[in-house]
Amino acid sequence: MTGINELKFESPSFLKRLSGMLGVDFYRLFHTPMFYIFLAIAAIIPAMILSMTDMPGPDGAAVAPLYTNTWQIIAADTPLYVVSDIGEYANMNMVFIFGGIMVSIFIGHDYKSGYVKQLFTTHAKKQDYMMSKSIIGAFSMACMCITYLIGGVIAGLLTGTSFAVNGGSVIIAVLGKMVMSLGWASLYTFLNIIFRRYFGLSIASSFFFGTGILIIGAAAILGNNSVLNIFLYGSSVYACLSGNIVTLPVCLVCSIVWAVIYNILGTRILSKCDVY
Amino acid sequence: MNAIEIRNLSKSFCGMYAVNHLNMTVPVGAIYGFIGENGSGKSTTEKLICGHLVPNEGEIKLFGKDYTDAGVRVRVGALIENAGCFPNSSVWDNLMMQAINLGLEHRTDEINRVLKIVRMEDSAHIKFKSCSLGMKQRIGIAMALLGDPALLILDEPINGLDTDGMRIMKEILVDITQNYGCTVLISSHILGELEKIATHYGIIRQGKMICEISAKDMDSCARLFISLKTRICREQKLSCKRNSGMSGRKKNILGYMMWMIRRASWNTFSKTGTLSEGSAETKSVLKNTMSN
Repeated sequence: MTGINELKFESPSFLKRLSGMLGVDFYRLFHTPMFYIFLAIAAIIPAMILSMTDMPGPDGAAVAPLYTNTWQIIAADTPLYVVSDIGEYANMNMVFIFGGIMVSIFIGHDYKSGYVKQLFTTHAKKQDYMMSKSIIGAFSMACMCITYLIGGVIAGLLTGTSFAVNGGSVIIAVLGKMVMSLGWASLYTFLNIIFRRYFGLSIASSFFFGTGILIIGAAAILGNNSVLNIFLYGSSVYACLSGNIVTLPVCLVCSIVWAVIYNILGTRILSKCDVY
Repeated sequence: MNAIEIRNLSKSFCGMYAVNHLNMTVPVGAIYGFIGENGSGKSTTEKLICGHLVPNEGEIKLFGKDYTDAGVRVRVGALIENAGCFPNSSVWDNLMMQAINLGLEHRTDEINRVLKIVRMEDSAHIKFKSCSLGMKQRIGIAMALLGDPALLILDEPINGLDTDGMRIMKEILVDITQNYGCTVLISSHILGELEKIATHYGIIRQGKMICEISAKDMDSCARLFISLKTRICREQKLSCKRNSGMSGRKKNILGYMMWMIRRASWNTFSKTGTLSEGSAETKSVLKNTMSN
């Protein structure tokens, strides 16, 4: 036991505060089974979809497979905002739907358990919280992209689907989608801050925005317009198998700009409103 | 310097004031007993101090600095309502997370130290959800004690505990307050819970601070009150003996007088704001009434 405490108050630097909060989030992420379950889901889903496309139809007759190439489970051949079949939609972008649910559960537990009180009682600032959750969400989704890739490749090998494609484009597509994780994670963090008192609404809203239904709807009106790249779902679709050297910077800029916007908005909401 | 200095603090929910222009001063090193009935605004005040709620107006200063200052906040520990732990994580993991958040260097030693204080050395690897209410409260205190806090805020830590849990919790509180040396703000709706540990008291009612008083003054006021009450009772007994043959109407008048005396003492106490001033006035009112 110590004696009378010395009254010294040293303000921790921004980096120290952020590293402390990130440390907590990483510790929690690696010590809870949820993260590993979602990694497994991300790996299983592409394997299931790829395997099922070779299945015969209800009448027993062979149907045209949704994917002629394994890498199509990773990204579409061209940036198609208007989807005509599920094969054009179901690719690595689905990670952002599972990721949204995971981020919602992760942040929701902060509020449900009351841990957020411990955070804000101590030195943690609202902007640290937003940034930390965005980074941890982005990291989780990037990891899910990797397991998705592994799952897709293994399923491709097992089903004997072709792997013939430009290697550089695949790398750009995968990296582009991993980069987009930051923007998506910031969006989900922001949504969870808005619906912090309603766990169910947080998950539902994350799922809704994660599906990219608004952009698909907009694309139905505007057509395959490249202006849609300014949105998160648009840039995520833009990271496709026909991608080039411009694709990655577009994804990077879009992701960072949206991350900054959502972080500023989230911080403002947290600062102006009661924590819970 | 004061550990907590609150001026004109207000917080309303849907137009209803939970804290209404509250002023509060907690000296450094004090064990401040924050007393008030349920719904009087104790927890809201504590949440405002902890930064969980945004005030409508007013100023909160901790150790002379604004309450949002990260340097001050890093040395504030709190147990508000519940421990704020993840139910599926172990006690150790929960404490470790808080230690990481605070950026402590010797985390294992620090966790062992606080677990020893709350008498939970052997329960570190139990999942938080498997702990009893008493254990959860103690874990909450352990969380608050991490990182050498200069200010400890405890919201009704004894509330809801069984006799044994209450005894252990009281032992821990005495231990912390006597040996730890930090300023403690501890709320309760039962004055008796805090009598052994508090050095200062603040009494809150309907979101307003009725009075702030030191334990010494509170003690002397209580003594005076008891002595006056004893005298009144003695007088009452004597007059009853003397007037054993008095009519029912006379007995009723005597009863009404006693009620008036009690009411007068309470009113002066409420109006004056401080019990020490009020008690002097009460004394004179009571003496006048007695002599009459």
